[in-house]
Amino acid sequence: MIQKKICMVGLFGTGKTSLVQRFVHSRFSERYLTTVGVKIDRKEVEVDGAGITIVLWDLAGRDGHEDITASYLRGAHGILYVADGTRRETCDQLPELRALARDAAGDVPGLLALNKADLADQWALARRDEEALARDWGLVRTSAKTGDGVEEAFQRLARATLAAKEARQ
Amino acid sequence: MTATAAPVRVDAFGLTDPGRVRQSNEDHYVIVSLQKTVQVRQASLPDARAFDGLRGPEALLFVVADGVGGRPGGALASETAITALVEYIGQAAGCFHNLDVDREHEFLEQLERAVHQAHERVAPTAGARGYGPATTLTMATLVWPRAYLVHVGDSRAFYLRKGRLRQLTRDQTMGEYMVEAGAWTEDQARAAPRAGVLASAVGGNEMTPAVGLVDLQPGDVLLLCSDGLTKHVPDERIAQILGAAPDAERACRELVAAALAGGGSDNVTVIVARMQE
Repeated sequence: MIQKKICMVGLFGTGKTSLVQRFVHSRFSERYLTTVGVKIDRKEVEVDGAGITIVLWDLAGRDGHEDITASYLRGAHGILYVADGTRRETCDQLPELRALARDAAGDVPGLLALNKADLADQWALARRDEEALARDWGLVRTSAKTGDGVEEAFQRLARATLAAKEARQ
Repeated sequence: MTATAAPVRVDAFGLTDPGRVRQSNEDHYVIVSLQKTVQVRQASLPDARAFDGLRGPEALLFVVADGVGGRPGGALASETAITALVEYIGQAAGCFHNLDVDREHEFLEQLERAVHQAHERVAPTAGARGYGPATTLTMATLVWPRAYLVHVGDSRAFYLRKGRLRQLTRDQTMGEYMVEAGAWTEDQARAAPRAGVLASAVGGNEMTPAVGLVDLQPGDVLLLCSDGLTKHVPDERIAQILGAAPDAERACRELVAAALAGGGSDNVTVIVARMQE
């Protein structure tokens, strides 16, 4: 079966681990535990009739102490950038994160998961901001809590990694 | 033991102690060095040193296993698990050579398979009621600079960097799972008698290895330990000892001494590996 390495990249506390937990194990926890190093999970999915094993690398988020370790991104087939729709700064740093990811992994497909969509009353982005992000990044609104958009985000990225492979061939 | 995982030297040591209360020690540990080498026994060549270039990178394997207390054969379970694990990895030792990004997943799968192999070796002794020997298993495989971790149960792996101790593993216990699911608060978990029951164990009814990795740096210290250490010694004290000890052996002895001074209610096992600058 084809394996695709997908890295989860974003600032701390954006919900990267929660998205993986929702996608792989169909569960959600309110408890926040910082990821240390990389946690690896796998899930077999079917994309347009093709079976793929998605190997998810859940990277520790960038915080005030440590930046993202670029070497973890090497060999990635796709990057799921994760931002928190209730914290604008998590979007502001996306261009920097994308530059870091491109340096390490090359020009691989990426997609932005704008997470915590269930917290609509705390949303920090105006519609036009989201439209701009969608144009620039490709965007799926997600909620690890309710599951909304999670499957779609991973499916879209997995499809993009397959398309990128075909384009290279 | 000092080994070279180029470009750093790794000062590693392990120690186990039955503690102050238990009659027997159901913990086991192992530190293993894996290396592909070409050793010229005899040659007529003018310079056989050229073959030194065929020496592969060294991998170091660290494992701590804590036989489940109260079950029959806990010591045998941890011994069997480690033996099966090392046998499997020994047979598949070539898997870490030429380890590039494309082969890394294969390597991780090999490590996971090794843990499943250990589980299959321990599990048949459980009997029809499924209540038999079981063990935790925390394994770190260092192929510099990357430490690959496969973990089952409530032993732990940490690393110390610039005085800051970070826990790499999460306990697979009933309490942790209940808190994670939102069914218990942290306080309820602390008070619950069954909170410490393993939700995943090698040889147990459930065995779900957690897989992860971390890139280490010169100066970092890796620690693997059984819960006989962490139930008596707080993280801050562990960090102090790891940061101050002049070598891995002294660090191990001081950590075990601290666990015993704190009550020593359980077997205590530690492996310390210092990435020397």
